[in-house]
Amino acid sequence: MTPSGSLAERVAALRGEFDRELEGADTSAALQAVRDRFLGRKAGALTDLMGSLRTLSVDEKKAAGQQLNALKGELESRLEAKGTALEEASRALRLAGQRIDVTLPGRLPAQGGRHPLTIVREEIEDIFLGMGYLVYDGPEVEDDYHCFEALNMPPEHPARDMQDTFYLAQPAGLLLRTHTSSGQIRYMLDNPRPPEVRLICPGRVYRRDDDITHSPMFNQIEGLVVGPGITLGDLKGTLEAFLHALFGPDYPVRFRPSFFPYTEPSVEVDLGCVVCGGKGCRVCKGTGWLEILGSGMVDPAVFAQVNKRLGRVVYDPEQVSGFAFGTGIERIAMVRYGVEDIRLFFQGDLRFLEQFR
Amino acid sequence: MKVPLSWLKELVDVAVEPARLGDDLTMAGLAIEGIETHGGETVLDLDVTTNRVDCMNVLGVAREVSVIYGVPLRAPDLSFTEKGGPAADALTVAIEAGELCPRFCARVADVAMGPSPAWMRERLEQVGVRPISNVVDLTNYVMIELGQPSHAFDLARIPGGALVVRLAREGERLTTLDGNDRVLPAGTGVVASAQAPLALAGIMGGASSEVGDATTTVAFEAAHWNPLRIRRVSKALGMHTEASHRFERQSDPEVMPAALARIAHLLEKIGAGTVRPGLIDVVAQARTPVRVAVRPGRVDALLGTPVPPERQAAILTGLGFADAGAGAWDVPSWRGDVSREIDVVEEVGRHHGLGRIPSTVPAARGVGTLARFQRRERELRTVLVGLGLTETISLSLAPESPGARVPLQNPLAGGQGALRDGLVFPGLLDALAVNLRQGRRDVALFELGKVFAADGAGVRETSHLGLLWCGAVEPAHWSRKARPADFFDGKGVVERAATAFGAGEVSFAASARPDLHPGRCVDVYADGLIVGWLGVLHPDRAEALGVRTEVVIAELALGMLGALPGPGLRVRALDRFPAVVRDLSVITDGQVPADVLLGVVRQAGGPLLRDAAVADRYEGAPLPAGRVSLTLSLRFQAPERTLLGDEVDRAMQDVGARLRAAGHEIRGE
Repeated sequence: MTPSGSLAERVAALRGEFDRELEGADTSAALQAVRDRFLGRKAGALTDLMGSLRTLSVDEKKAAGQQLNALKGELESRLEAKGTALEEASRALRLAGQRIDVTLPGRLPAQGGRHPLTIVREEIEDIFLGMGYLVYDGPEVEDDYHCFEALNMPPEHPARDMQDTFYLAQPAGLLLRTHTSSGQIRYMLDNPRPPEVRLICPGRVYRRDDDITHSPMFNQIEGLVVGPGITLGDLKGTLEAFLHALFGPDYPVRFRPSFFPYTEPSVEVDLGCVVCGGKGCRVCKGTGWLEILGSGMVDPAVFAQVNKRLGRVVYDPEQVSGFAFGTGIERIAMVRYGVEDIRLFFQGDLRFLEQFR
Repeated sequence: MKVPLSWLKELVDVAVEPARLGDDLTMAGLAIEGIETHGGETVLDLDVTTNRVDCMNVLGVAREVSVIYGVPLRAPDLSFTEKGGPAADALTVAIEAGELCPRFCARVADVAMGPSPAWMRERLEQVGVRPISNVVDLTNYVMIELGQPSHAFDLARIPGGALVVRLAREGERLTTLDGNDRVLPAGTGVVASAQAPLALAGIMGGASSEVGDATTTVAFEAAHWNPLRIRRVSKALGMHTEASHRFERQSDPEVMPAALARIAHLLEKIGAGTVRPGLIDVVAQARTPVRVAVRPGRVDALLGTPVPPERQAAILTGLGFADAGAGAWDVPSWRGDVSREIDVVEEVGRHHGLGRIPSTVPAARGVGTLARFQRRERELRTVLVGLGLTETISLSLAPESPGARVPLQNPLAGGQGALRDGLVFPGLLDALAVNLRQGRRDVALFELGKVFAADGAGVRETSHLGLLWCGAVEPAHWSRKARPADFFDGKGVVERAATAFGAGEVSFAASARPDLHPGRCVDVYADGLIVGWLGVLHPDRAEALGVRTEVVIAELALGMLGALPGPGLRVRALDRFPAVVRDLSVITDGQVPADVLLGVVRQAGGPLLRDAAVADRYEGAPLPAGRVSLTLSLRFQAPERTLLGDEVDRAMQDVGARLRAAGHEIRGE
């Protein structure tokens, strides 16, 4: 056997043996044992083989050395690759064991909700804020002057019958406002500056009435626009824009003459029934229309009352005109959400309130 | 107001279907409430607004119809033949109270009592009036047709044939036609004989002069009454009649002769009798007709659309206005609601058609913004909703509580006799009870609203926030048990709420309040002021509600918080050097509030101590019973450099020394 032949045989045998052992190593410890067996500094099989080169000639030694170094590189990289594979397999196994039942219910963070009347009120506020209005907050406890007299309802006016009033026992002379229209008067008296007004006044109002469609307390939004050259056409355009923003552009809006003591002309605003689409149903009492807003041009008598109280003419009916309007927030919420009993709004029953989350 | 269609058609031609007629009347201001059929007759039910007494009769509605369709109005037939001796020989009338009764008209008639004909009875039934006898039915028929209420006296039962119109005297009584014997309030208008009242002016006749089967001669009365006087008496006596309804809304002051003529005509027509010659017409206060000047262009300027002058004139003429030239119009007597230019504008507008006015939107004059308080309220709602609370709205009315709550003079229901002075009591607790009754155990509610307090001659309104928790704040989940709300849930939310409201930090101090757990109650402070309270509902009250867990409640005066300037927001430079955190456990007898310990630590920590907080609280083995270990976490930081270990050590030693000096034990020493 020539030395070279002999070396080649030994290399082949060693590689064969390495192949078998590497194949069989299925843990990182076994892999380390294979590494020690073939590449260990002291007793490694390849290390031994390298030691046996000492007997060769210089030229033979050089050729054999190159061959064995290449073999060493090959074994090392195969050990490395096997190590990586083993690690990946073991991590995959570990993660597989961490599988959870993803169909179990999640932990819902606590979540409350705004009251439906707040939802509707803020929406209305936002529509008018977008048209340049301010939101005015007037008092709920009023006196006769602001609630009635300044609104062209002198004592014993028949229109007062429509609004049965709560009076305070003490302090005397005070009452709970029956409508947010009192906010008009408050604002004009408190802002006797250039008569340019654009406001809405949302808030609670009170009437002595309690049944499925009436609560002794409910919520209204009053609106007031005053300025030079304000017309009934402006009233129409503004309220159409408002109703279309609130309910969508598909519902017709109609304006018909009516009566309120503090507006002249007075206008009732109807919206095509959002429940039946105008065909006629229980909610619209078969008419196809929902009474949704009361409105009108500010009666000059109201300006006169304000001027009288101010002691000078600030709101001169010859220079300015205006329109006012009012709507019930419950009414809109009832129509929109299909609420049939107004009292549900004020009972705090979570079965009701949670539907508006 | 019910209007039989055939009756309407006697006075005006109607070419359209009833449904269309209803729509057209609605758009002119007489809202149709319904169209009924009544024994083959179509009856319109109209909602007539309180100002339009002129349309509370068939003729008034017919006049509207004639203007709507541009067709002529047919006046009712007023012709009749007088018979017998002069009326004035049988009846005299004197008005003593001219302010009560500006004008009183009467006619004397010889009658044959009996039922009225079927057609008249049917029409009365169609409009909701009960037929009684031919004479009484005639007065009602003419009231429905022309709007003038009238009354028939049995002339034989008017002592001396003399009527006096005056105010009732103290203690006078009258038995009215409904059989009630009434004491008349002072100032009540009456039609009286020389001795006693015979009828309540403008409201109801009296029993003593009532017509009956034996009646042969009647005095038909038609008068105009002061609306306010009728209204007062009607309210005082609780009597609301077809007559008072019209008089208190200011009926036509000049229609009385026509009404009596119509009665005479129909009396003859139905063969029930004839009238004697002469109208008795006593005028106590002459009426001045109303003339209104309408400036050119004013109608167009207010409506926002041009209405041609000839169209304006046609509308007004059709409604009975008379052109007085130079833009002035004489207002018909039946339109007591029209006295100003603006009223005329309305008349033109409603008949020109509101639908024909083009819609415009006035140009915005500025940006619409919420006030600071309004923005804060919205922000607060958003935060509270995110923290799991549901908003509720309670009635602002609460049970009376003398000295505390502002009382109502005329409450509607028991338990609603006053204005609320807080949101938790009773509103939120009532809402809790509602939910508990439904078997609901986990409740978290808030309300934002005003509370009321007497303030001298006025009432002060303050915005409050009320909070309530009961049951689980962390609901049961497959991974954990439910955790019920406790004091500290409330405390955390109150802090968050104050911040969300822009009020900066709040602090808490143990307190005592009625209805709260004596050991679990604090006052909430901001800027040195008490702005609210927080605590656990007294267990006795919770038990009364049937609640076994704690009910945590809190109330904040947002009005006060809103008045505070708040911290404002300026960004602080980011820390460039690392902080050092050291923990320290202090063992106490359990009576020392954590706040006190933290106060000592903050004082002793020196300028490098940035923050100190409670990191843990422990009691139990190996600590002796009654001892509590509080672990405080101290964070040190210098703005311009990295801290050295021994600097922090020295600060910690100072803190430890101060705590020991205060009698506390440091754990692990």
